[in-house]
This record gives sequence, C-alpha cells and structure tokens, in this order.
Amino acid sequence: MAVKSDLRTFKNAAWLGWQMEANWTDPFLFATYSIVKPLAGTLILVFMYLVIIETSGSGMEMADSPYFTYMFIGNAFYMYAAEVLFGVTWVIHDDREHYMTLKQVYIAPINFYAYVLGRAAIKIAITTVGVLITLVFGVLALGVGIDLGSVDWPFFIISLIVGLACICILGLALGGISFLTAKHGEGINEGIAGVFYVLSGVVFPITALPTWAQSVSKVLPVTYWMEALRRGLSPDAMDQLKASYPYDVTGLGGFDNVFLMLVLVVSSVIFFVLSLGIFRYADLIARRKGKIDWTSAY
Amino acid sequence: MQPAVETKDLTRVFNPKKKKEGKSVTALDSVDLRIEQGELFGLLGPNGAGKTTLLKILSTLLLPTSGKAYVAGFDVAKDFQEVRKRINMVSGGEVSGYGLLTVRENLWMFTQFYGIKSRVANERIDSLLEKFGMADKKNEKVRTLSTGMRQKMNVIRGFVTDPDILFLDEPTLGLDVNASRIIREYIVDWVKNGKNKTVLLTTHYMAEADQLCGRIAIIDNGKILVCDAPQKIKKLVKTSTTLSLDVSLMMDKSRIRAIRGVDKFTSFDDAEKDVTHLRFVLEGDAPVSDILSELTRSGSKIISLQKTEPTLEDVFIKMVGKGFE
Amino acid sequence: MSDTWLMRNLRAVNGRAYPRIIGSKREPSWLFFDIVLPLLTVAAYAYIYKFNNAQEQFIGYVVLGGAMTAFWLNILWSMASQLYWEKEIGNLQLYLMAPISRMSILAGMAVGGLFFTTLRATSTLVIGIVVFSVAFTLSNPLMILVIFVVTMIALYGMGMMFASLYLLFGREAYHMSNLMMEPVYFASGFYFPVKYLGFWAAAGASAIPITLGLDALRQLFFAAGSGDAFLPVETEAAILCVLSVVFVFLAKYSLDYMERLGKTSGRLTLRWQ
Repeated sequence: MAVKSDLRTFKNAAWLGWQMEANWTDPFLFATYSIVKPLAGTLILVFMYLVIIETSGSGMEMADSPYFTYMFIGNAFYMYAAEVLFGVTWVIHDDREHYMTLKQVYIAPINFYAYVLGRAAIKIAITTVGVLITLVFGVLALGVGIDLGSVDWPFFIISLIVGLACICILGLALGGISFLTAKHGEGINEGIAGVFYVLSGVVFPITALPTWAQSVSKVLPVTYWMEALRRGLSPDAMDQLKASYPYDVTGLGGFDNVFLMLVLVVSSVIFFVLSLGIFRYADLIARRKGKIDWTSAY
Repeated sequence: MQPAVETKDLTRVFNPKKKKEGKSVTALDSVDLRIEQGELFGLLGPNGAGKTTLLKILSTLLLPTSGKAYVAGFDVAKDFQEVRKRINMVSGGEVSGYGLLTVRENLWMFTQFYGIKSRVANERIDSLLEKFGMADKKNEKVRTLSTGMRQKMNVIRGFVTDPDILFLDEPTLGLDVNASRIIREYIVDWVKNGKNKTVLLTTHYMAEADQLCGRIAIIDNGKILVCDAPQKIKKLVKTSTTLSLDVSLMMDKSRIRAIRGVDKFTSFDDAEKDVTHLRFVLEGDAPVSDILSELTRSGSKIISLQKTEPTLEDVFIKMVGKGFE
Repeated sequence: MSDTWLMRNLRAVNGRAYPRIIGSKREPSWLFFDIVLPLLTVAAYAYIYKFNNAQEQFIGYVVLGGAMTAFWLNILWSMASQLYWEKEIGNLQLYLMAPISRMSILAGMAVGGLFFTTLRATSTLVIGIVVFSVAFTLSNPLMILVIFVVTMIALYGMGMMFASLYLLFGREAYHMSNLMMEPVYFASGFYFPVKYLGFWAAAGASAIPITLGLDALRQLFFAAGSGDAFLPVETEAAILCVLSVVFVFLAKYSLDYMERLGKTSGRLTLRWQ
C-alpha cells in the first residue's frame, strides 16, 4: 500500500515537474532551449581547447586528441550533476519562496522524498536529452572518439544508474540545507556542482590538482563515476590517453573496471547514508525554527 | 467639482493567448460610474464580477479595451503618471513586501516610491502604527507577522502616502473582529476629516458596505446593476418590515390584528412565562407607532422589540441571483 | 525633468536598494555561496589551461572572466528576472502603481546588488590571482576605470531592457534568462579571447557590452593581452560609450513599450504565467 502510494506521489510529482519545466512555451521553443543550452556550455570548452591547440603551434587536430574525448564526455555527463543537483534543491526553494506551496505539500500525507525525487526525475529525463544531443554533436561534428561498437554497455549502463542515484540523493541533502538558508540557497547547488567540476576529473584529470586536492577527489563518488562512464563509453580513447602520458594521468589507472565499480558503489552508498542524514537533520532544524514556510526574498 | 472617479462606457475584454485556452471574457461591460470627491463608495459583487478588473484599470495597471476612465480628472490611459501621484491601492490577502525587512522598513521603502521625505514618512508610519495597534511590531521582521498583522501593515501602506483616492480591495480580509473594526473606523475618519479624500472599497461583507458606504454599486458579469445609497437600494427589494415583540400575556388580539398596514400577524401565548410573542409583517414603517400605541392602550407591557428590515444581502441575492460564493 | 521628478526617482532608487543592502547584512549566507563557490568554476577552467600547458596569460583571462561573470549573473538574476519574482509575490503591481520611472526600481536593484556583486567579483579576482599566481599589470588605471564604468552602464542598460520582457512574459522570460548564461559566456569570450571566434562572430558578440569590456580589460591587465585582442582598447572604449547610450535609451523605450503591451493584454500583473 505504502509503495503504491509512494509511486503515485512520484508519478504526480513527475507530472508537476514536467509542467514546471515545459509548459511555459510552445514545444518548438522548448526544444530549442533544451538543445542550445547544453551545446553552448560544451562549445566554451571546445573553443578553449581550440585556442590551446592554435596557440601551442603543435598542429594537432582536436579529433586526434584523446584528452579532447576525455574532456567532452566528462562535460556531457557532468550536466547530470549540475542539473539534477540544481533540480532537486530548486524544488524546495521554488516551492517555498516563489509559489509558497511547500507547506501544503509538506503537511500532506505523502512521502516527501517521493515527491522531491519525482520532481527530479523530470530533470533527469530532460537532461538526458541534452546529454544525448551533446554526445551526438560531439561525435558527428567534432570527431569525439565514441564508437558504438566498442562501448562496454553493461559497464556503462550500471555506472550511469548508480551515479544518477547518488546525485539524486545528494541533491536531497542540499535541498534539506536549503530549508535553512535564504534565497541564496540557489548558490548551494552551484557550489557543490562546482566542487565536483573541479575535483572529480570532469574536464581535466585529477592529477592536475595539488596532492591535497587529489585526496579529496578520491573520496567523491563522482570521480569514480566520471572515470567509469568514460571507460564504458570510450574504452579505446581512454587507453590512448593512458598511453600518451608517462605517468598515471587519470589518477585511477591502477583500478580495473570491477574494482572501479566497487569503489563507485561503496562511495555512493556512504554518500547516500550521509545525504539522508543531512536532509533529516536539516528538516528537523527547519521545523524547530519555523523555516518550512518562510520567505526570504529581497 | 470634478469627480474623484469617473468611467464612461468602460469595457474590458480579456482574450486568451491561444484559442485552446478558452473564449474571450468580458470582465467589464460598458460601465458608467461616477464617484464624487469625499465619498466612501462601495463596490459589491460576487467573485469574477469585475471588481478587481475595475480597480486595476483605475489604478493604471490595466488598460480598458474601450471607453474611458478618469481618476482625479486624469485619463488613466494617457495621464497615468498624474493618476499615480494621487492614488494608492490595498488588496486583501496581499503578501507584498520583503520578509527580511521590519514592518517599519517595509513601509518606509514604499513611501520612497512616492517621494516622501524620510522624516515625514517615519512620522506618518509611527502615527499609523500607533493608531492600528501595531506600534510594538514596528521592529519585527515582516515574515514573523501573522496573516492579520500583515494585512494591517498592508492597509497602513495604503494610507501612509496620504493619497487623494484610495482603492481598497477587500481590506479586512483575514482580519479578526477587533482589527476589522479599527480599520473601518479609520477609513471613515480618514474620509470624514480629510480634505476631499475618496475611498473606493470592494468587499464581500455586506454589513461593512452598509455601515461604511454612502453609496454602493452592485456589479455582476461586468455590469453595474444598481448604484445608490444603501437605504434606497434596500427598498428595491420589498417594502415590508418585520416587527417582533414580546409582551406581557395578552388575551385579546383582535384590535391589534386589525391595525391598518399589518400584512401578516402571528402570535403565541407562553402561559408559563406569562409572555405573548407577537410577530407582524408590515407594509413599511408607518404601522409601528399604531401598534405600540394599541399595546400601551391595552395595558400590555413590552418586554422586547425587534425590527427587521430588508438587508443588502436580500438585495444582492435578488439582483445577482446568488449569494457570495 | 523637474527637481521633484528627479528627487522622487532618486528616493525610489534609494528605497529599492535598501532591501538589497539590508538583506545582504541580515542573511550572510551569501558570503560563502557568492564568494567561495564561484571560484570553483574559475579553478576548473584554469586547470584545463594548466593541464594542457597553455600560455600563461590564459589562466589570467579565466580569472578575469570569472570575476566578470558576477556582473552578468547580477544582470540576469538579480535585476531582469527579479521582476518575475516581484510579480509573483505581489510587489510588482505596487511598484508599477507608484509615480516613478521603472528604471528607478531597476536601478535601485542594481545599486543595492552592486555591493555584493563587486565583492564577489573582487574576491574572485584576488583569490584567483593568488592561487594561480597570475601576473596582472596596472599600466593604465584610468583607462581601466573608464572601461569598467562604461561597460557597467551599457550592461545594466541591457539588463533593464531584458527586465522589460518580464512585464509581459512570465516564465518564458525567466527561461530566456536561463538560456542566456552559457551562450553569453561562450560568445562574449568569458574564458577565451573572443577573437578566436572569428571576426564576424566576435563583431556580433560585441553587441553584448561585456564582450568588448572584457576584451579591453584583458589588454589593460595583461602584458600579452594585446596579442589576443579583438580590437584596440580605444576603439572598444568608444564602441562601449555608444552602446551605453543605446542601451539606456532602448531600456527606457522597451520598458514603456512592454508595460503598455502588458496593460493592454492584461498580463502586467498576471501571476503564474
């Protein structure tokens, strides 16, 4: 009964999430928006890399560089981290500050987690479209090294699912924290996503960071997630990248795929437990201080 | 003297953005209205009648589709900046303002949009907070206020700029009896003691409109159905008056039954309590004195008396065909 | 313009700036989110250049670009789209009913937000310089100030123009703001010199004031900046002056026009669009 009720909550929340995301305009404009936004973010990196090549005078082509594939794939899948973290946190912030419906949802006899995750599910769906478009554009227009015939599908799919679950629950923790902050709660998700962007080997290997930062990187599940996704999606390019450097350039070269998956799962579970704890604690404090339905706009 | 508010054949039609969103809605249909300076004017109507649409046009937030509207002699469409200098508006259930600011700060902020010097603004704010019983809340953050307190603050915001014309859209919504009474008294005093101060008030509380307003307009489906003083409006419904009396036990009621102007008469003798309950339906007020004279002549002692006249609600139901939903 | 009109609008600017300033003081959580966290994006791009052994000045470009994003984000989210939220909470109609220019309200928002925007930008710059050992030069501080001021005037004028869209549209305008983050970072060369987009693309992007502003500041702050410049500093300064006037004028016109459209269609105060 409880499961059925939770599923219904999830479904209704997903429907609401879709309405919030999509019904502000006509389908054509929404499609344009969904395409342009992810591509523009990607193009910043593409042009940065083009500038690097041009000013280095190496004469190398972008498509020949395994690092370019590394960066491109990382950036594409990072969209999940940014958008889903944002999406989950935003649910609480938006409902509380702008539409002032949070208290009604909160006191309803539903599973609040199911509600939040339902809203997040739509974010994941929309982001998936963005990720796919980016990858297709990268492969067709920029020569990104993804060969569908070489993809390790089981490894890739399992990594994707585990990583997404971890991101969702982390978003919930951040959402809990946003109960306690003012309108600047928007900065929480930007900040945490930024932490992943810098420290998780999204667009450059973690070995580029100072040693102390690499230690932090190795604690974050997103680091292993990025590595697993790349190895699954473009195993050849990752092998080429390793071969082009005399040292363990990714910092995770010593992990085989099985061990990598194990570390990803374990770190995700730890973050899962931590995130749930953070959310519950933040929720308790928010109720004590009467912040469930406060507004802080200025 | 030019009127405070005048509308001529004022019409407002709302068209949907897309056809599938529904048909056009005529929110105001050829509304002709004239409110004199110094009036406390009431606008009654069910939900969706067009009250808020009218207020929005008069407060320069909305343009008419056709017709004209003038506030303080200025055309709301063309001379809106002049109109804005002379008006303010308060809506019921407002959540405007910033939760992080104190009551005083919020009110001060809005005075700055009307070019009021800070010293003058603060004096007015303190005075109004005192009058509305909120002096102890002036340094409280707005987000800590109860709904009623917040609404009081909103009402103060309307008065603090000392407008010539104030639009009040259900100002006592959500307020308790005492708070509502304070606000109503202040509104009446403000109009009475101010120099040509005008209030256009919309409300769902019939008693409020009846008590406060010199004239009332009833609006439904965008049309003004009637516009007159409350007493005259009530007479449109029926001329009958109900008179209920408790008198000392009265055996012979034949003379009293026969009094001219008594339309219907019922009585009930309560021998245990030694009381006779009399109930008359009269044509107008004239027979009342005859009844009282007859009771005195017959030696009956009047224990209690209650006279019921047609109410605005009766008028409303008759004209609009429904109560307030 | 009479004194009364001027004083009224100056008071309005002051009045609207007040909640911003006081809010920043009373909710200090922004100190962390708006100062420390934006550094992370800067760091990521800096490390991309560093990992790929790019020329040293590019890291400086990233730090400068990252600092300037504070202003662009302020335009998008604390000015333009703020009107959307003001509409939702019911303040917008109170502002629109007041006998003041809409530009005063927006200017008040801008002025009020300028403090913490500048603080965010400065902290990004300073910390970026320290962490990445970026070599900045201050060869022409006066020109730096001129470029910065005209860029801000043009940028905020553009922001007011965007804000006018919110008088008519609701969430469409909000999503347009959202859409304008990454494309503008890309086209305006926040993280790489815009000249590498090609002349015509860079020329088109120059319609956004921050493009030329950034390009000029790079030339003034970095010894190698002129090698990566799109146009000479003086030319860019002149264009920015023109853009300032154009955008301020366009802002006034579009605010009036959009308000009129909103009042005609009935969407000016319509919530939850």
